[in-house]
Amino acid sequence: MNNIIEVKKLTKEYKTLKAIDNLSFEVHDGEILGLLGPNGSGKSTTINCILSLLNYEGKIKIFGSDMSPDAYDIKKRIGVIFQDVAVFDELSVYDNIDYFCGLYIKDKDVRHEYINDAIKLVGLEDFTKFYPKQLSGGLLRRLNIACGIAHKPKLIFLDEPTVAVDPQSRNNILDGIKKLRDNGATIVYTTHYMEEVEILCDRVIILDAGHVIAEGTIDELKSLAKIEEKISVEVNDLNEKYIEQIKKIKNVEDVSYDNNVLLITYKKGKNNLVDLIEYLKNEKIVYSKIFSERPTLNDVFLELTGKGLRD
Amino acid sequence: MFIHNLKYSLKTLVKNRMLIFWTLAFPLILGTFFKLAFSDIESNEKLDIIDIAIVNNDNFKNNEILKESFKALSDKESSDQIFNTKYVDEEEAKTLLENSEICGYLIVLDEPKIVVSNSGINETVFTEVTNEIYANASTIENIVENEIKNEISVPNYDIDYETIINNAIAKVTESKANIKDISSNNLSYTMIEYYTLIAMACLYGGILGMSSVNKNLANQSNTGKRVTVAPTKKTVTIMSSALAAFIVELIGVALLFLYTIFVLKVDYGTNLPLIILLSVVGTFAGLSLGIAVSCIFKTSEDTKTGIIIAFTMLGCFFSGMMGITMKYVIDKNIPIINKLNPANMITDGFYSLYYYNTLDRFYLNLISLLLFSFICLALSVYSLRRQKYDSI
Amino acid sequence: MIVFKTYLRVVKKCLVPIIIYTAMLILFSSINTSNNDTTMSFTAEKPDILIINKDNSKLSKHLVDYITKNSNIIDIENNEEKIQDAIFYRDVNYVIYIPENYGNDFLENKEPEIEIKSTGDYQASLASILLERYLTSSKSYLRNNITEEELILEIDKTLENKAEVELTSTLDTTSLTKANNYYNFSNYCLLGGSIYVICLILSSFQSENIRKRTIISSMEDKKYNLYLLISNSVFALILWLLYVVISFITVGSIMFTMHGFLYIINSFIFSLCSLTIAFLIGNLMNNKEAINGIINVVALGSSFLCGSFVPAEFLPDAVLKVAHILPSYWFINSNNLISTIEVFDTSSLKPFITNSIVLLAFSALFIIVSIIIARNKRKIG
Repeated sequence: MNNIIEVKKLTKEYKTLKAIDNLSFEVHDGEILGLLGPNGSGKSTTINCILSLLNYEGKIKIFGSDMSPDAYDIKKRIGVIFQDVAVFDELSVYDNIDYFCGLYIKDKDVRHEYINDAIKLVGLEDFTKFYPKQLSGGLLRRLNIACGIAHKPKLIFLDEPTVAVDPQSRNNILDGIKKLRDNGATIVYTTHYMEEVEILCDRVIILDAGHVIAEGTIDELKSLAKIEEKISVEVNDLNEKYIEQIKKIKNVEDVSYDNNVLLITYKKGKNNLVDLIEYLKNEKIVYSKIFSERPTLNDVFLELTGKGLRD
Repeated sequence: MFIHNLKYSLKTLVKNRMLIFWTLAFPLILGTFFKLAFSDIESNEKLDIIDIAIVNNDNFKNNEILKESFKALSDKESSDQIFNTKYVDEEEAKTLLENSEICGYLIVLDEPKIVVSNSGINETVFTEVTNEIYANASTIENIVENEIKNEISVPNYDIDYETIINNAIAKVTESKANIKDISSNNLSYTMIEYYTLIAMACLYGGILGMSSVNKNLANQSNTGKRVTVAPTKKTVTIMSSALAAFIVELIGVALLFLYTIFVLKVDYGTNLPLIILLSVVGTFAGLSLGIAVSCIFKTSEDTKTGIIIAFTMLGCFFSGMMGITMKYVIDKNIPIINKLNPANMITDGFYSLYYYNTLDRFYLNLISLLLFSFICLALSVYSLRRQKYDSI
Repeated sequence: MIVFKTYLRVVKKCLVPIIIYTAMLILFSSINTSNNDTTMSFTAEKPDILIINKDNSKLSKHLVDYITKNSNIIDIENNEEKIQDAIFYRDVNYVIYIPENYGNDFLENKEPEIEIKSTGDYQASLASILLERYLTSSKSYLRNNITEEELILEIDKTLENKAEVELTSTLDTTSLTKANNYYNFSNYCLLGGSIYVICLILSSFQSENIRKRTIISSMEDKKYNLYLLISNSVFALILWLLYVVISFITVGSIMFTMHGFLYIINSFIFSLCSLTIAFLIGNLMNNKEAINGIINVVALGSSFLCGSFVPAEFLPDAVLKVAHILPSYWFINSNNLISTIEVFDTSSLKPFITNSIVLLAFSALFIIVSIIIARNKRKIG
């Protein structure tokens, strides 16, 4: 497998803060890599270092060559969508994309075609003559993305592109990112929304306080969690003795009862739900709702750091 | 790439209404205010015809010289007319004065007396001219007296009084003071206001340069990050953005010039090539200021605009925009301030072209401006040399 | 009450720029009052004259003495560039160059020439009257074999003759002019200050989201606007009060007289009017960025056109005619009236009262228009 990016022992210190501490990782060709972490964990700083916007210690290679501010050959193949919307209020949607695309591609006809592709990709066909101020938050984000990817880069960085975006625009954006990957681009995607990572990313790196705390595919990461399954049951006035009994059922890790909800967590094992239903039936316990969940990345993160992702 | 960036930089600058207001519209509006307020000041400073009254008593009627002199000075046909004289009795003169219909009146008792209500310039002129007439009258009397004494001492008792008096009058009226006026013609000091206006427009143009360059710097704006990660040379994008700002600035200053020359009738003197040279260099100084502010300060664009406006207004204040005397007071007492003040370099440059016959002072200002621009640009280049940032 | 509380909270947030702006305005007007601007004030009676005397004779010294007695002699370094500047900026109205050997040449009837430079204004004309009077009388007395001493004696005889001057006015014109300048300049400060602060604060209240909330709230919109207006008047009053207090410092004792009292009343009425103007502008626009532009155009415009910076008598008649449609004109007109009133009675105060009524009528008009605009703005978009 080809490594598109290699980061080795990256360290970045601000005056008082060590934002990134000895960070090493690779990005493989054709994947969507998720950089997941709470706010302030160093995701954006990492990207800014990779792009050579910041001074740093360590070694960064992109497409096998050293990255530097003058590495125009590398820059040509990169597209970046920053966290903050970066467009000109004075230019229309089309002009904005044309301007940024024009920094990469000289040929006007090619550019025209590329811009239309980008507009189609983010679904802004009806808004080409609009000015940024006239766009809603979600549409503005889409424009922000179109400006970063119109030149059809091989490597795309997306830094939290879905913050404060309505569900429809978010779906549109996520679909667009998948399409880009399907067209052969490699994507580095940072977010603190684990749901997005779960549907989108091939591989995830979890960051906290400038460290990599876990790395792998979604399934690999989830296997890190001690628990395998969570089952919640809505049941009224459950007697203490039943709780003690449930604790002794096979594979049960922990049981809690709060607000008429019985929450049971399981270690590895199969047929947990079937076993539980059978137990409830035998004891003639009346319940209104029952459902089973797989652990989320939040549980993994909680497990690894002792705090939630969105703290 | 250069052209592409230039095209879009121009587009963003022209579309930004606040920028256009401050750099193009505001100087035009302010200039119009100046014109409306100042156009009559200087003509008002010339002597107007002064309304006076003379008490028409016997003393006055018997004084030929006085009568004739006031008659001549009140002659509506004459170009020497100073007074508009009413001959009235004392009561009426008092009423006229109370109603401010005249600035004062003359009453000849044993000695002449002038009655005025306050001490303004018209009152002073009235007094001085009356004194002048009296001086002449007394000169004639003295000469006649001397002549008669001479005749008597000869001795000659057959004196032709009439000839002596006529000779004396002739001598006094023919005696012209031998004065040569070597004043410069271009003395209209309100011009300074318009020169500071041009200086203001040039330096405000810095806002365009600042805004334009800001859009390319990763540590200053979000769009700057985008431009920085694109495979373009920083020097190319910055130079073309700066050029775009310079073009818009030049158009703005040119429009202001045309407006001041053709609508406001501002006089810049006659040396057109040097006038154009100075305004181009002034515009360039503004641009350099803007670029320096953009590169050196790391703060919001609004604050940077504030910095440029504050710097410009302070500079214009010292070069006389809010009171022409200020420039003179500073030039005379604390010259170092205005030697370092780019607004004054531009103002003083125009002033020296308008008022002075020699060009030394003009070139000094021009070179100072270039030096100022050079320092600004050097500081900018120094801070731009870093390609990566410690924080963005 | 809740509107007022919120108003104070918004004020608190913008306190720094408000204080800076207000301080700047007051500083400007104090400098303006204390700085005796020679180009803009026309009260100086004696011309400012510079004499460059290269002659050493008694005659030229006598001439210098005579000019010195009747003018303000300005001392400037004998440097042609400095002299040129001094003339341009009216530091000197008249420069007299007495050539070498003037006295002898004159006595020998060689008609030596005196060079002058003049600014061509009132004072320069006065100076030239002085110089010409001296030169003509000296020339009239010139005859063969007259000695320098004799000539000087005879010239003195002529120049002694002076008319007696009697002043009838009891007004303290210097102090009144100062007070008048200060209060005329206040036109800019009161107007600019009110517009700046009130628009800044209103723009917070007018921002789209907050406007939506207040529109759907149960408070009657007329009441809401009234509360806002009253809250804003607090600031206008503070600004006015500050301005008046400082006038006691900069202008001095004349503020304790009837004249001073009228200036204060007049500026109070104008403060109310500025408040309504600011309120109208604040209701007209929602754009924070545009505030600075509008202040400069409105405040500078009415100050220039109505005689706040340049005395009204020096403005072109056409400009003054147009200025009638601006409230500032009536305010400044009242100020100028006050400075000339000698006896306070109904007939002398009548024009002042008329002006005040016009100002109040303007205020009422602005409030009505603001309310109509605010009503029409109840729908968004």
